[in-house]
Amino acid sequence: MAVIETSNLTYTYPFAEKPAFKDVNLKIERGEFVLLTGPSGCGKTTLCRCFNGLIPHFYGGNLEGEIVVAGLKPTEHPIYEMARHVGLVFQNPENQLFALTVEKDVAFGLENIGLPRDEIRRRVDWALKVTGIYDLKDRAPFELSGGQQQRVAIASVLAMQPEIIVLDEPTSFLDPLSAKSILEIIHRLNRDLEITVILVEHRLDLAARYADRVIIMDRGQIILDGEPRRVFLDERARLIGVGIPKVVRLYLMLMGDGIDLGRVPLSPEEISESIVEVLTSDRS
Amino acid sequence: MSMFDGLRFRNVSSPIHRIDPRAKFIYVCALFVAAVLFNQLIPLLILLLIQIPLVVMAKVVREWLRLIRGASFFAAIIFIMNVISLYFYGGYPSLASIIEHALAMTVRFIVLVESFSIFFLTTSPDMFGLSLEQIGVPYEFCFAFTTAIRFVPVLAEEAQTIIDAQRSRGLELEGGNIMRRIRNYIPILIPLIVNAIRRSLELAEAMESRAWGASKKRTNLYVLKMGSRDYCLIIVSILMVAASVYVWLFIKIPSITQILWP
Repeated sequence: MAVIETSNLTYTYPFAEKPAFKDVNLKIERGEFVLLTGPSGCGKTTLCRCFNGLIPHFYGGNLEGEIVVAGLKPTEHPIYEMARHVGLVFQNPENQLFALTVEKDVAFGLENIGLPRDEIRRRVDWALKVTGIYDLKDRAPFELSGGQQQRVAIASVLAMQPEIIVLDEPTSFLDPLSAKSILEIIHRLNRDLEITVILVEHRLDLAARYADRVIIMDRGQIILDGEPRRVFLDERARLIGVGIPKVVRLYLMLMGDGIDLGRVPLSPEEISESIVEVLTSDRS
Repeated sequence: MSMFDGLRFRNVSSPIHRIDPRAKFIYVCALFVAAVLFNQLIPLLILLLIQIPLVVMAKVVREWLRLIRGASFFAAIIFIMNVISLYFYGGYPSLASIIEHALAMTVRFIVLVESFSIFFLTTSPDMFGLSLEQIGVPYEFCFAFTTAIRFVPVLAEEAQTIIDAQRSRGLELEGGNIMRRIRNYIPILIPLIVNAIRRSLELAEAMESRAWGASKKRTNLYVLKMGSRDYCLIIVSILMVAASVYVWLFIKIPSITQILWP
């Protein structure tokens, strides 16, 4: 069952001449891990803001076409209602944490929807444990590292128990190691809790292995959409300037030299496995 | 910045930190009243000294000393102004009594600073916001308050980055007369304000995305409960005000000058 469905969705920011994206037709199934990528300014962030109703309620502007998210129309339901179904994690961890302790921050959304105190306590503890920051619960957000702050942001969205989590470049302020651990957490949310994940990300080397599906946007349009192993091989992905994972490029180079690794790799582990396989089969 | 460090909360565990902010606030008010009632040196010194055990108990001695050091500049101004004005208009019998009176005014100022600093050093802004909420201040105001405090270190850091960036482009901050110096800070302030506005937009977005305003009856993770210790402090505060009023009305307080040179 599709959890997000758009048809001919077009949006223009107020005072903008050109639409930020045009005629987007998208269907995302429940439980999918979708990796959304494309050059800066291609409209992916704007698209994310439509999923929980920030567009059009917060931004204004002109939204045309149809969009249904978790069975609701974001155009007709207020943002706070959408927030129970769609969690949005932003790029800059610093600007999405308001409270003076981690715990209080995670509780923020739950307090807003007016849950009873013991239920808030239960969900906060759960979300902190899932994201591995239970030990930090009494610390102040500004004392934490960027990676820890981003975990807090994820925990606070997770505490709302949404069906969909949308993450807009959650690792762009982080070093590679923290980025990796954030992506692993996101992967676990998708695999263990069956939350639909839409991840906007430039670091394809780190993120590609977790995705069920890759969507590449350019200039306000969806250019490619499909299975990662297929999408990364497409010539258009390279031409747009998307950072194709290095392992895929290695695969293509070996292919050019006449060595067929069988399947397209998405992680260093996969490619090393295939290379070992090819080497051992050559010897025998 | 160093003076404001004296007002910045640091999370340590102590009996004073655990006291309900409302009770602590009543205590601060009582101290305030007592300090304003008296203008003699002896009772003001007593008020100054009885707070020192609290500071030690709260384990905030270092921050507190820094605050007092920061306040000493203002204290010196108060002292000098008092000496000068009393000398010309006071009609005091001797220089010693003038100095004693000026000293009393200075100590009064320090007592006020001291009591507020104990409050802010030992009350987490979250708890303070919560107590505002529980005495019926609308949530929006409490939220604005705690958020403002949360962003003080962030903005301070950002200001430093902007100063460094502008300096590396050759901006001179020091030198020149006062007008010149103020003008020097414009290239710092404009990016700082623009950034703050941009930041507030992002914050608003994040708040909206987390169901801000979903329910009229917002709940809260924490709830403040007054314990026996808190009631004790309130009673002590009330007694302190009563005692001060009694002393003020019925007992003539000798000045130190009178004791030394009767």
